Amino acid sequence: MILSVRDLKVSFRTHDGPVRAIDGVSFDLEESEILGVVGESGSGKTVSLLAVMGLITDPNATIEGSIRYKGRELVGLPPRELRRLRGNEIAMIFQDPMTALTPVYTIGWQIAEQIRAHRGVSKSKAMERVEQLLAEVNFPNPHEAMSRYPHQLSGGMRQRAVIAMALSCDPALLVADEPTTALDVTVQAGILDLVRKLRAKHKSAVVFITHDMGVVSELADRVMVMYAGRVVERGTRTEMFSDPRHPYTRALLGSIPPLTGEKPRRLLAIPGSPPSLLRLPQGCAFGPRCPVRYEPCEAGKPGLGASAHAAACFRVA
Amino acid sequence: MTDTDRPILETRSLAKRFSIGTRFSAEGRRTVHAVDNVSLTVRHGETVGLVGESGCGKSTLARCLVRLYDITDGKLLFEGDDITSKSLSELRPLRRRLQMVFQDPSASLNPRRRVGDLVAEPLRIHGKVSAREITARVAELFELVGLLPDHMMRYPHEFSGGQRQRVGIARAIALNPDLVVLDEPVSALDVSVQAQIVNLLADLQEKLKLTYVFIAHDLSVVRQVSTRIAVMYLGSIVEEGPAEEVFATPAHTYSQALISAVPIVETTPAGARKRIILTGDVPSPLKPPSGCRFHPRCPIAADRCRSERPELKEYRPGRKVACHSPTLT
Repeated sequence: MILSVRDLKVSFRTHDGPVRAIDGVSFDLEESEILGVVGESGSGKTVSLLAVMGLITDPNATIEGSIRYKGRELVGLPPRELRRLRGNEIAMIFQDPMTALTPVYTIGWQIAEQIRAHRGVSKSKAMERVEQLLAEVNFPNPHEAMSRYPHQLSGGMRQRAVIAMALSCDPALLVADEPTTALDVTVQAGILDLVRKLRAKHKSAVVFITHDMGVVSELADRVMVMYAGRVVERGTRTEMFSDPRHPYTRALLGSIPPLTGEKPRRLLAIPGSPPSLLRLPQGCAFGPRCPVRYEPCEAGKPGLGASAHAAACFRVA
Repeated sequence: MTDTDRPILETRSLAKRFSIGTRFSAEGRRTVHAVDNVSLTVRHGETVGLVGESGCGKSTLARCLVRLYDITDGKLLFEGDDITSKSLSELRPLRRRLQMVFQDPSASLNPRRRVGDLVAEPLRIHGKVSAREITARVAELFELVGLLPDHMMRYPHEFSGGQRQRVGIARAIALNPDLVVLDEPVSALDVSVQAQIVNLLADLQEKLKLTYVFIAHDLSVVRQVSTRIAVMYLGSIVEEGPAEEVFATPAHTYSQALISAVPIVETTPAGARKRIILTGDVPSPLKPPSGCRFHPRCPIAADRCRSERPELKEYRPGRKVACHSPTLT
């Protein structure tokens, strides 16, 4: 077991009152497994992974629950200890590669810096490794790319550089937050391919956050669907897409226009928009938009249950 | 000639070039060929979808179509009338028939004005109608796009993304336009909200007999809304045809690669679909490659492709492709 998260709760004190961004999220991750986390903006998918990385430093935040990495509790770990893990054993890729790279140093320098910080090797050794890494993420001319600055690369190439950086210390856990959202589909296809290959080669466990059901279907072994800070459904890829159980998962799948076959005259749209975390509806957060809600949905929040393929819905239980 | 065959908007070898740099910059003055030799016909009542990677010139073309950009070369015809170089005052009566919806509704709506006011603005500018008529029309428009009448007094920030885009759409249809150019209208929205807007656009099209030019990078959305598709690469159209046909049997290698790259929800094991992964990046429009502009990335490029640029040819009624060796079915 690489990662085991139990009943994670994150809340922020804000001007308008407390906001519970994550409300009791639990999941496990095995070696060389890809977990897809799907959700819309505000569903808490990013915050839960920032919590795992120990990157929530906001003094207004409270984090409860347990995050165990290889059996070791991360919640409450001193920043120094965390820093030793981050970038070394746990790496992260963000949506916008430009914000993850500094514009004033070359790609090669930036990746080498990380290797030197964690591994304490010489500069020339580190540079050799950088060239290897860039070749691994399919830079056509890795030696030349090392002396490039981020602005001289295209979006896809920048994201590849960030991936190379994330892989520089052979992480056991790779967290990717919408790494392909800003990219064209043609470039995205290449990056997804790369993630798949790297998983096979390095045996890293991957948490892949996205809002795109298609991406999840192509990449993930297991899927977790989030809504308003809670997990509403989890299961294997096949379970999730051949037998979606939660009304939200079903609606989300129904709202995607098909790429082949007959065009539906209308799409099955979900009415309304995702709720504000400041004003969550009574009971089930999806209730007001749900086509099958009934009285119990307003009374209490449905739990996820313990089975492998589970949906947090009173209708399903 | 039936109404649906009548062209509403036509471009003939349209080109848009931008000059960048000065003679003092390192590379001197250079020209970006953003749109190059585009001949496209939009007919009454149809939806033409423009697809392509970022930087392929689809947004520039859209802005040329509504004359937000001046056209460098070629012609733009609105119902047969040449509007390529009409002055702004000459264009004004046309503007009410030719509208645009932008990608980011929070950037295109003035944050300091109430949305009722924003929707009323085009009415004030173009019609000489009374305040009461304007209020009535705004209420009507709000209902049409699915907003509540008491939303009129709110400011843009009080709305969700989907609602803001509804305001943007209400503004665009306020003057009963004939043609609406939609530049990535659903790209900034949450997945669950996208479908609402796609449905709304379809309803409005039916009710108001609108013609759309629809741009999006999400190919499945484009397929859903479009009757015809034009695939753009590096400023030019490489393939054109009925939406479902182009998606089912793309003739140009680039269209094939683009369509095969779209991740779709499958219940069968991943990788069952044949995928063409393109190598390299879109070349810079500053130095477009010789011959066929796609040849450096094309898996089937031959010698001829490096030297001779293929023309967009109609190989079957309604289907056009610009390739020396297209996959014809």
